[in-house]
This record gives sequence, C-alpha cells and structure tokens, in this order.
Amino acid sequence: MSQKFERVQAGEKVFDWLLLLLSVGVLIEAYRIDGIPGLNSPGSFPMGLALIMLASSLVILASHRYKQRDPKIRNARHELLVFFHQHFQLHIVVFTLFAVAYLAAIVWVSFYVSTFFFLAVMFIYFRQGRVVSSLIIAALAIATIYGLFTLVFRVYLP
Amino acid sequence: MSDTFSYFLMAWLDPQLLLLTAVGTLAGIYVGAIPGLSVTMAVSILISFTFSWDINNALALMVGIYVGGVYGGSRTAILLNIPGAPSAVTTAFDGYPLAQRGEAGRAIGLSTVMSVIGGLLGTLVLAGTAPYLADMALEFAPRDYFLIAVLGLLLVSTLSGKSLARGIFSVALGGIIGLVGMDTVTAQPRLTLGSMELLGGIHYVVVMIGLFGAAEAFYQLHNLNQVPIKQKVDKIIPPFKMVLKYLPLSMRTSIIGVVVGALPGTGGDIASLFAYDHAKRTVKNPSSPFGEGAYEGLVAPETANNAAVGGAYVPMLTLGMPGDAVTAVIIGALVIHGLNPGPMLMIETPHIFWFTVGNLALANLFLLLFGLTGIRVFSKVVEVPKALMIPLILVLCVVGTYSINSNMMEVYWMLGFGIFGYWLKVFGFQMGPIILGVILGPLLDETYRQAMSSVGDDAGQFLLALLANPLSLVLTLVIVLVLLSQTPLKPWVRRRLSRQ
Repeated sequence: MSQKFERVQAGEKVFDWLLLLLSVGVLIEAYRIDGIPGLNSPGSFPMGLALIMLASSLVILASHRYKQRDPKIRNARHELLVFFHQHFQLHIVVFTLFAVAYLAAIVWVSFYVSTFFFLAVMFIYFRQGRVVSSLIIAALAIATIYGLFTLVFRVYLP
Repeated sequence: MSDTFSYFLMAWLDPQLLLLTAVGTLAGIYVGAIPGLSVTMAVSILISFTFSWDINNALALMVGIYVGGVYGGSRTAILLNIPGAPSAVTTAFDGYPLAQRGEAGRAIGLSTVMSVIGGLLGTLVLAGTAPYLADMALEFAPRDYFLIAVLGLLLVSTLSGKSLARGIFSVALGGIIGLVGMDTVTAQPRLTLGSMELLGGIHYVVVMIGLFGAAEAFYQLHNLNQVPIKQKVDKIIPPFKMVLKYLPLSMRTSIIGVVVGALPGTGGDIASLFAYDHAKRTVKNPSSPFGEGAYEGLVAPETANNAAVGGAYVPMLTLGMPGDAVTAVIIGALVIHGLNPGPMLMIETPHIFWFTVGNLALANLFLLLFGLTGIRVFSKVVEVPKALMIPLILVLCVVGTYSINSNMMEVYWMLGFGIFGYWLKVFGFQMGPIILGVILGPLLDETYRQAMSSVGDDAGQFLLALLANPLSLVLTLVIVLVLLSQTPLKPWVRRRLSRQ
C-alpha cells in the first residue's frame, strides 16, 4: 500500500520541538497560579489551555511520521544550511537588525530622526542605491506621518 | 420604526460620515489590492488612531475599509495573478486567464458589480436576522456562550491552516496571551512571569498589529523583488445582459457567502472556496472551462466573499463572537469605545446596529462607484515596490502601537510578536486563530467559570446541564461532530462504507 508523504520544511521539526518546550513552559506557569486548580479557580482555564497546547504540539510532532524532508537535503548539517539559506537571507537579517536598532534609537534620538534614518537606510539598501530619491521619499514619508498622525488623527507619537 | 430608519440613514445624510465611508472604501480597495497589506492589518492599526474619535466616525472608516478591502484583493488577482487578500485566491483561478485573454477590464467590471450584489444581499440578511438572533441570544445561559465560543474556535482551527493540530495550538496560544494579567474575579496575577509590567495584561491591539502588521512585513521580505506582469485594461462596465445572465448564480453564491461568513471564525476566504466549488459542480456549460477563464468562476467567489462581510457581522453584533479576523478586530474597537458587542448591544445601543447596517449598504454603493472608475491610477499605485512599502509598514506599526497607551514597552512587545508571528507563518500557522483566541480566551474563561458557578462547581452537574438543555445539547453534539470529522475515525468509517 502506498503512503502519501507530505513535504517537511527545513527546520520545521526543530521549530515544532520548540513549540513543545513553549507549551511545557506555559503549563509550568499555569501551575504556578494555584497549583492543581479546582474546577472554578483562576488557574483552571489557563491550565486547560496549556494542556491543549501541549497535546496539540505532541500531535504536531507525531505528524512528522507522515512527512518526509526534501530528498535533495542529504543530512542534518545540510538541512541547517538550507534553513539558514531560506530564512536568514542577508536582506532579512539586515532588516531585522535595523528594526531592533530603530526601536532602541527612538528613545535616544527622538522618533522623527530615528524614523528618517531607518527609512532612508532601508530604502537605499533595498533599492541598491538611488540615494537621492530614497532620501526624498523618506523625508516625504516623515512629513506625511507628521501631518496625518499629529494634525489629523491627533495621536501621540513616540 | 422611524428611529430605525433615521439610524440607518445616519451615514447617508451626515457629510462627515459620508466622506469617511467614501475614504474608507477607496482606501480599502487599495489596501486589499496591494499584496502585503491586508484589511486586518489596516483595521488593527486604525483602532489605535481612532479610539479618541466619535464611535460613528471610527466605525464608518472601518466599515468602508472592510468592504473595500474584501473587494480590492480581486483586482490584483485578476490583473497580476497575485491575490491581494486570502478571499481573492479563488478569483485568480479564472480572473487571471481572463486578463491574459485581454478581458481584464470586463472581468474587473463584472467582479465589481457581483461584489456589490453580494455585499448588499449580505447586509440585507444582517438586517433581517440579527435582531431575532439577538432576542434569542438573551435566553442563552453562560454555558451556551461557552459552547458557542468553543465551536467558533474549533471551526477556525479546522477550516484555516494546514492541520487541525496547528489550528488548535494557535487558538490555545492566543487564549493564553489573552489571559495574561490579573484575574478579573480574584485579582490574582496569571501567566505574568512575575513581571509587574504584565499585570495589566497584553493589549490585544498590540498582538494584532504585531501578528498582522509586523509579521507580514517580515514575511513579505521573501518576495522583495517580485515583478508583476502588467495587463491591458479597457471596457470596464459590463453589459446589462451579462449581469442578468450571471444573476442567478450570484444569488446562490451570496447565500453561501452569508451562511459561511456567519459561522464564527470563518470568513470570506472560506466562503469564496465553497462558492467556487458550488459553481464548478452546478454550472453545466460554463463560458470557458473552469480554471481557463470562466466568468462563472469569477462571479461565484466574488459574490460570496462580499456577502460574507454581512454574514460575519451577524455573530459579532448578536453574540459578541467574531465572524472572522476583521470582525475580531472590530469587536476590539467597539470595546475600546465602551460598547458591549453581543445581544445587549441591540437593546442598549440599537443605533450602533442600524448605523452599521446603513453604513455597510452605503459602502457597497461607494464600492460600485470606485470599482468601476480610476483603474489607471489604481494600476500605478499597486506597482509600489515592496522595497518602499515594507519599511513604511513597520513604521506604521510602531506609530499605531505607541498611540494606544503611549508606552514604548508595548512597541517592543509588538516587534516581538511580529518576529514570532513571522516564524509561525513560515511553518504553516495562521494568524487568524491566534487573534480569535486572544479575543475569545477571556470570554471563554469568564463564561466557563460562570457556568461552573451556576452548578455549584460540580462537573457531573455541568455535564448533566449540557444534556438536559436542548440548545446546549445541540451545540455539544455539533462540537463532537466537528471534532470527529477531523480525526482518523472519518476516513475509517468511509473505508468501511465503501467496502460494504
């Protein structure tokens, strides 16, 4: 009898194990609310949800029995390389790092300055040059954000 | 009656509301059409900007964006073979082949008219059924609410995503996020990791913006340099004969759309799939084979996904249960404005209900106007490169999150949810179930504990109450059936039957 196998992505199994760990962590945290909870105690529902998370993550892991990795992937080391190639492409890493730096910079150098630099640098990087147009678009974006959110929506900006 | 009518016409007669509905609908068309932007993302971000507004103004804008956005996804599906929204995936099956045949204009025109027909029918059903449903809902016991919420979450787990286990995991994860903070009954800290910052809980708009906005921005980086193929567009307005020809099919698929949309946790994407399948099975002689440019394959999903909008409002306004991810976000907006979505909404604030109905009808008329015009400008705007759009989306997420409580910590949380959401998306988890879990988790907790209190915390009595009450029994049976239909039992039964 032929068995249909679903394709598993590089890194998917590790991610599913991490979700199992997360579920265990949530279960421990739910247990800390009031130990073994009564039927109507503050911890009963979180405990129930944590158990559902745990059970479903176990089912997800068990489902890997019916999945196969890409035949082109030779071994675990090769899978790691494929995973990094797919999800840690340079522009994704750069954007993530700049996003984190941007959020950190908002507190230190003000929202407008940090946003302008973030937008300008990202535009230049993603468009591989075109410095002048990128700077102009970033400046226009800042002006629009100021006009729209401060004057029209009247919200507090960071 | 006269009050009802005046509430209905409120958005039609007030110039400010009229303008906001028009702006919302137009913006929605673009938001829905530009791949990488989504209606849920736009409405999530809008909540944080509009919570200081008058509720009618905020709702007018959101309703416009919702109606325009569901339709907008079809345009890029037809023109570029890139569905702008999940509800337009099926539109691309026949819409793009039509565009390749040089009939892009006609396909857009027909999809606009059919979307409006579907949207108006959905609104009519909402107006006709919701008041009666709300009356019925007043009789519901807390256990019935609990069961309806469980059913909604179960449906969203089964119908979205690549496996039931992943759907259920997402819903439970969302529920856990929604429960972080102090218990509303005992003020006991729950799931706070000992942090004072988390005592107030995690604001659901922060989670929404993180998962729908930032996560999507990160995810779109995979297609940063995707170049769409342009199509020639002319003759947009479809001939009246053509509209009449497809009217019976659009009526049938509208009903499918409304019913599927009204199931808690489903939405336009599932409605359009059901409608496409219905068209394939029932239309004997399509204009072309399905998948190769059949107008029937365009009409069915387009009517159904817009009809699902009215359907999705039914459980939201009558039971306080979101019909889909967007209505989950709109529930958040209503709560922020001090309203109580559910059966009491009809009694305490009937004007909000009739205003929403009138506003939906108005937005559909604006859809007809904007859908049949401005196609050249549209073609230019949807070509905005992702290199410009992605950093801008992140900035909007930052502004939107900060404006909720002026708290930078929430902005960091938003980014954290964005990065976590990205990985979840990569490995096939859907964001919708998580958000529904965040919204419905506290409601489930509350109704479960009320139901337990009502039977003296006795599990046996609780089970007995489930069996003794007809509504509870029906809901329990439906939940059991949905669960069984997703287990290995179903294929086993099918095999046995086929052998016999």
